[in-house]
Amino acid sequence: MSPRALLRTFSELCITIGTLIVLFVVHLLFWTGIRAQSATDREIDRLEAGWAAEPLEPPAPSRGGGPPPAAPVEYEPGQPFAVMYIPRFGEAWDWPVLQGTGTDTLKKGLGHYASTAVLGAKGNFAVAGHRRTHGDPFKDFPKLRPGDEVVLTDGTTWFTYRIASKPYRTVPSDVGVIEPMPRPLKDEAAAFDEPGRYLTLTTCEPEWGSSHRLVVWAYLDATQSVTDGKPPGLHS
Amino acid sequence: MYGWIWRHLPGNVWVRAALSLLLVLAVVYVLFQYVFPWAEPLLPFGDVTVDGEGGAAR
Repeated sequence: MSPRALLRTFSELCITIGTLIVLFVVHLLFWTGIRAQSATDREIDRLEAGWAAEPLEPPAPSRGGGPPPAAPVEYEPGQPFAVMYIPRFGEAWDWPVLQGTGTDTLKKGLGHYASTAVLGAKGNFAVAGHRRTHGDPFKDFPKLRPGDEVVLTDGTTWFTYRIASKPYRTVPSDVGVIEPMPRPLKDEAAAFDEPGRYLTLTTCEPEWGSSHRLVVWAYLDATQSVTDGKPPGLHS
Repeated sequence: MYGWIWRHLPGNVWVRAALSLLLVLAVVYVLFQYVFPWAEPLLPFGDVTVDGEGGAAR
């Protein structure tokens, strides 16, 4: 091989690698978002079609505005079972919640930690979502503030959770945050001091990194049957 | 490398150009469909869960 051919091959390799890197960035920044958009739309459509086809028995109206009695519920792994709305993230922000937190599941929506409580039940309903890539569902996570609403529906009931803490930055091994009674490593960060019906959201921190996690906690504030219309926190 | 491919494509310049374009499209398709989804979990953007649970991509 002549030096000239060597040099040419080397240049071609460099250009190829550069092109690959650019393509990969395009894939991460745009393509995963486009795929997530269609995947989440599909999951929400499936959910709503399922709810329309076989309306679940609406729970008996509870006295005193308390949460309805918890029925034994089981979610199918990888399947959507609820839709989440967070008004702080914008009126158009709606994401399906799927069972499990596997890589493939999180490409289609938010993931419910399979070991945690079911929606509206006593304990902790914990959900993880991407901060970046795959549609950026939790991009604005740091903007969440105490008092913000997290609204979920499972087709029969609207659950309105109210955030109780500012986003708490912690390390990935801080598994206490998703316990039924959240117990973060830092005691002073704990949002609650008695058992109740809680919700936990987790995502990564920093935005493009994985060294830490961001966590917020919320408590169940109100429930209402879907037949009574949307909760006041949701516009239109 | 690219010169070698070009010389081994059949036909005149236009046919070769069309075939090259097809090859490029095929490579991009394979990358987006198979290679990048495989490579992505190796990067940290998917780590959104606290440990000890099914784990979104480590």
